[in-house]
Amino acid sequence: MRTLDWFVLAFSLVFIVIYGLWRSRDSGSVDKYLLAGKTMPWYAMALSIMATQASAITFISGTAQAYVDGMRFVQMYFGLPLAMILLSATAVPAFHRSGVYTAYEYLERRFDAKTRTLVSIVFLLQRGLACGVALYAPAVVLTVILGVPDRVTTLLMGGIVLLYTVAGGIQAVTWTDFQQMLIMFAGVFVSLITAILLLPGSTTLPDALALAGAAGRLNPVVLSFSWNDQFNLWTGLLGGMFLALAYFGTDQSQVQRYLTGKSIAQSRLSLLFNAVAKLPMQFFILLTGAMVFVFFSFEKPPMVFNPVELERMQSKPEYAALAARYDSAFADRKAAAERYLETKDPATLDEFRAANLRLEAARKATGANDTNYIFLSFVTRYLPVGVVGLIMAAIFAAAMSTISAEVNSLATVTVIDIYKRHLRKDATDRHYLLASRLFTAFWCAYAIGTAQFGSSLDSLIVAVNRLGSYFYGGMLGVFILAFYFPRVGATPAFVAVLLGEAAIFAAAQLTHVSFLWYNVIGALVVVVSGVAMSFFAPSRPAAA
Amino acid sequence: MMHEEPPPFLRTWKRVYAAVLLYLAVLIALLAWFTFHWNRG
Repeated sequence: MRTLDWFVLAFSLVFIVIYGLWRSRDSGSVDKYLLAGKTMPWYAMALSIMATQASAITFISGTAQAYVDGMRFVQMYFGLPLAMILLSATAVPAFHRSGVYTAYEYLERRFDAKTRTLVSIVFLLQRGLACGVALYAPAVVLTVILGVPDRVTTLLMGGIVLLYTVAGGIQAVTWTDFQQMLIMFAGVFVSLITAILLLPGSTTLPDALALAGAAGRLNPVVLSFSWNDQFNLWTGLLGGMFLALAYFGTDQSQVQRYLTGKSIAQSRLSLLFNAVAKLPMQFFILLTGAMVFVFFSFEKPPMVFNPVELERMQSKPEYAALAARYDSAFADRKAAAERYLETKDPATLDEFRAANLRLEAARKATGANDTNYIFLSFVTRYLPVGVVGLIMAAIFAAAMSTISAEVNSLATVTVIDIYKRHLRKDATDRHYLLASRLFTAFWCAYAIGTAQFGSSLDSLIVAVNRLGSYFYGGMLGVFILAFYFPRVGATPAFVAVLLGEAAIFAAAQLTHVSFLWYNVIGALVVVVSGVAMSFFAPSRPAAA
Repeated sequence: MMHEEPPPFLRTWKRVYAAVLLYLAVLIALLAWFTFHWNRG
């Protein structure tokens, strides 16, 4: 990174913080601090929802996913618009009319305190573990690329988040998310256009697409079905819909975004904007990765993208043989690509495909796990000065928007569902406002603290990511019971959640089905068992 | 108290939801065409 890039990055970060704090100067009550006094317009909520979902690692690994595996990942988002329609029709009016601060507060109105507390604790455990990882995971990559220790990166990102989240509450989070999402949009489109412009002079866009297609990188729709593979049309539609229902309908880090809406209509519009915009956005992120792949068909990519790992490998005796094999495979692939540009003969695409398979085998032989370094390696080595700073700002923005929403929602659940509900029931608004600020600072410090030990927690990160997918099904199931089955009472719902979680853990341990199906399995077990038990257990009328 | 507001376009929410469904169908059809077109070789 050169001086101008550092300037662009620093300016973006400073501007975001100042703007967020300025927009949130009126946060002097719990209602304003946690729900923005229900004054938010749809476009601010819409981009905040999008920014919260788009973490830095999704940004970095999304492009890498297309580079190594093609665009089939986009199918994960096929069910999202369906979920947004269902949530707009059910959850949004239910949450708004009940006047709750958290989704779990609604569960007490509908069922009882123990169901609310159980789901709140599950959320705190799941999201609490995830927020440290959300801070550490991008820091690892940025550290290698920027040459700054990961502790500095996590402290910088965490410190900035702490500053505006503690001071301005959800208004600061929403308005900074808004800015951060605009920077991410700019980052995606600038990197896509630059990747296309950097292709050799004689390469047209159809040429680039033909090469990417020949190597299997342009496959956004896969019609074949497998239980073990989440990247096909059918799993994307059904499994993706359940995942999106759970994430946007039961996870407070998302629910809190649209609870700030000034009306039901504004909140609905914010979700429907995501229904329309999320898929194209993900498509363009993946297309960028595919174009980076084509770029590296003419420009030799490093055998291993992580420079630290490459340096380690260079000291090994087998390195020379691996490098020779890799160089030869790359030369063949480049020659095939150039022949295609000259002749436009489809037969040369077969040569390109075969040479690419040899190159992939040579890369695989290194045993390196470096996919998260591909995109940033491309950005820092080939993109023009200034643009590099913009892309880095987009990565920082993606990380901070996710962490700030997580910290904000963790503090809200801690104060509203635990502290106010169980520990201090009748304090003043001023007291709960102070508690909200303190718990926000606590969760932020906790995320920074966890991230400081990230390097010794690599295996835990994998476990946390896996564990996260275990809880959504049960949470979704109990909300489906709450919204659609008024006959089901508190105790059947509580027991059904436990049964649903048991079913998910059993499916994870005993089968090889894709994790996207855990949400479907968990939600179905909760609903079926809850309804079945309601025939035997007395129910009380729904209060919500 | 929250009032049920109509959407700013298409007059009813049901129509808005139907439009989003139609949009999704068209988008998936376009992506399927994109896949088929660039993977013919």
